[in-house]
Amino acid sequence: MIMSKIEKALNKARTTGSLRVVSPQPLSHDKVTDDASAVSNMTALIEQRASVNEAIACMQEKSRLARPVLDQNRIIYPDLGENGAVRAFREIRTKVIQKSQGRNCVIMVTSVTAGGGSTFVALNLGVAFAFDAGKTALLLDCNFKNPSLHRLFGAGVFRGLTDYLENSNMDITEIIHPVGIERLRIIPSGGRPEIPAEYFTSLKMKRLLDSVKQRYRERFILIDAPPMTQSADTQILAEMCDYVVLVVPYGRVTDSQVDACVKAIGDKKLLGVVFNNEPSPPTFTWQDFLNPLRALWQILFHRLKTTRAG
Amino acid sequence: MNLRPEQLVKVLVDEAFYYRKAFVGAFIVISLAILVFGLLWPKGYTAYSSIVVDDKKVIQPLMQGAAVTTDVADRGRLAREVIFGRKMMSHILEVGGWMKDNPSPIEQERIIQKITKQTTITNVGKDIIKVEYNDDDPQRAFKIVEKYTDLFISESLGAKSAESQAAYDFIHKETESYHDKLTKAEDQLKDFRSANLDARPGSDADIGTRLNQLQQRIEQATQELREAEVKKSSLEKQLSGEAEVTTTLSREGQFRSRIAELQSRLETLRLSYLDSYPDIIQIKHQITDLNQSIVEDRQRREAAKAAGRVIIDEGVINNPMYQQLKQELSQTRVSVEMLNARINEARRQLHSELELGKRVHGGEATLAELTRDYQVNRDIYQDLLKRRENARVSMNLDKDKQGLTIKIQEPATLPLSPSGLRFLHFVIAAPLLGVILPLGLIYARLRLDPRIRFGAVISEKLKLPLLTAVPHLWTPIEAQIIRREFQWISLAVTGTTLIFAVVIALRLMKMI
Repeated sequence: MIMSKIEKALNKARTTGSLRVVSPQPLSHDKVTDDASAVSNMTALIEQRASVNEAIACMQEKSRLARPVLDQNRIIYPDLGENGAVRAFREIRTKVIQKSQGRNCVIMVTSVTAGGGSTFVALNLGVAFAFDAGKTALLLDCNFKNPSLHRLFGAGVFRGLTDYLENSNMDITEIIHPVGIERLRIIPSGGRPEIPAEYFTSLKMKRLLDSVKQRYRERFILIDAPPMTQSADTQILAEMCDYVVLVVPYGRVTDSQVDACVKAIGDKKLLGVVFNNEPSPPTFTWQDFLNPLRALWQILFHRLKTTRAG
Repeated sequence: MNLRPEQLVKVLVDEAFYYRKAFVGAFIVISLAILVFGLLWPKGYTAYSSIVVDDKKVIQPLMQGAAVTTDVADRGRLAREVIFGRKMMSHILEVGGWMKDNPSPIEQERIIQKITKQTTITNVGKDIIKVEYNDDDPQRAFKIVEKYTDLFISESLGAKSAESQAAYDFIHKETESYHDKLTKAEDQLKDFRSANLDARPGSDADIGTRLNQLQQRIEQATQELREAEVKKSSLEKQLSGEAEVTTTLSREGQFRSRIAELQSRLETLRLSYLDSYPDIIQIKHQITDLNQSIVEDRQRREAAKAAGRVIIDEGVINNPMYQQLKQELSQTRVSVEMLNARINEARRQLHSELELGKRVHGGEATLAELTRDYQVNRDIYQDLLKRRENARVSMNLDKDKQGLTIKIQEPATLPLSPSGLRFLHFVIAAPLLGVILPLGLIYARLRLDPRIRFGAVISEKLKLPLLTAVPHLWTPIEAQIIRREFQWISLAVTGTTLIFAVVIALRLMKMI
């Protein structure tokens, strides 16, 4: 909640231009108090942040994705308000920042089993990072066997991770694509799904991760990894990451499966577990479907319309 | 992991939502099935009546120990025995109107079984029996319970009276039988006593004493006899050596002995004196005189002998010793005879006493047996006499209906409203069970399925850092589908409710 308020305030300040960088005043007094030094540090931080924000603001953005597209792709956006999912991803983001102490890091998101929702969690976590105008997120689709992030780009072939790993001449910038969500960039899996797992251990992959991490300090790198129980690649990837987020889908895995995954990841790397896909009815107004006459009328009307149209 | 109540509720709601179609389907099917069941459930009218059975009236403490009241421990069981008896049931069949169609015995049996099933007899408290009967016809239920009550009361009283009468009769019969036995034993005892007068108590000891005395007498007499015989033989021996007559010294002898004596004196004197000595001369003269006397005596004796005269010889006398021995011998012989006779007599008496003793012994055994029989019979007879009187009082108690009082505590009434499970219960149970049963199934599945359905399991059981639980994010299409589903579900539930309403209305209007 606090973070969302800060984000909103920063966004507003940025758009209205009320945010100004105040240079530190030269100290005339001999006595330098602690307070004064703290103030100067703070000011320096704000200045730095302002410069970063400016740099981020200069990022080239694709035209924003429309809300129906976001809804359709199960992507959160700030206007969803008190939606449980939005709240949950903000909570995860806060915990990640707390854990990394504000520094950017490489986070791998993997699921215990296939269809566990690791892509959903990774994507929305990236979006949650991108909510903050001072942070960006880069999402790597490492799920070569079952890639899904490329669908956000619509039609067309985009170069991705496999292409980069295969082609030594390719520049990183060629594979980082905007998706229409502010401050979020995606590296899709690429057009070569048959790439062997050994590529993950290659120096190039390592260099890629380092470079994307160090390029922007405010950039959080998220890796959408294959499910732990289905791919050995995930464990190799986990070695290269700072943290691992394990996605446990509702009602689909047992304690022992989770335990096995956690052992494979190791306690040090495990950032935490996300319990995904808890059943909860959509936020309807109950009158919509509890008023039987209205429902009956709607159904009959729908039938009449379809028969007439037919 | 055990879920807390609020967690359990959340999981149940989540799962119910997840299986919403099946849940609602189950709800509709279950509730409608229960409604139909409720419609088909036969209406039952229960009539009942309470009967007080009191056997502890004021008469009982008064008659304590004397009269025995019939003990009825489990009145309910007794009542069941009485009521479900064939005799009662035939009455009930008639009262219930089942006999109008003249059912066959098999059908009758079936009807009786049905009636028995519908009848409940319970002990309410210690002395109250409650008879209930359930029937679809309230009038019949009432009639049957009324009949049950009447028949039970009359049967119970009759049975009790008959029981005490039978007890009296039996004891009376036994008393008579023992009376006869006792009389017979008395007669036998009397006959035996008159036949064996000496066989009295103590006869045995008398006989023993007498036998001892006789023995002593025999022994004493035998001893005396032996002594007498010894004495007799001794006397006979003495007597044989003794002369009957003893000869004493005759005059001549006396003269001769005098001469001898004088002679010796003469010789003695002559040793010292001369013949001239006067004493010698005198002695000589005396000797001569004596010789003379001898000659004269001899002559006289011969003269007498020649003359045939008895000469009393002064020298021959009867021997006194002989006489005395003879006398004693005679006495001893008498006493031997006497002792022999005494011994024989004593022996005869002994023999006779022994005979008597034997007879007395046999008689005593018979007497003891007869006495024992008599005493046993007498004791039993006296006891039976008492019991017969007790039984008579008990019988009179029952005749006067003082022993057991059976009265109707609560008479049967015509049941106005049906009893048991009613349609209303089914109407209430239908939606409740419609919800509870599917929830129960979901709960069972949750218990059996080990898969994780609650975020707290991760943090509490697996001790892993739970970042958060992400709820399902609905796409607009999914939301639309759910909306449509809920519309159908809503319609179905409303339809079910309408069916319920219609059925209840029809039921209230007694149309179904």
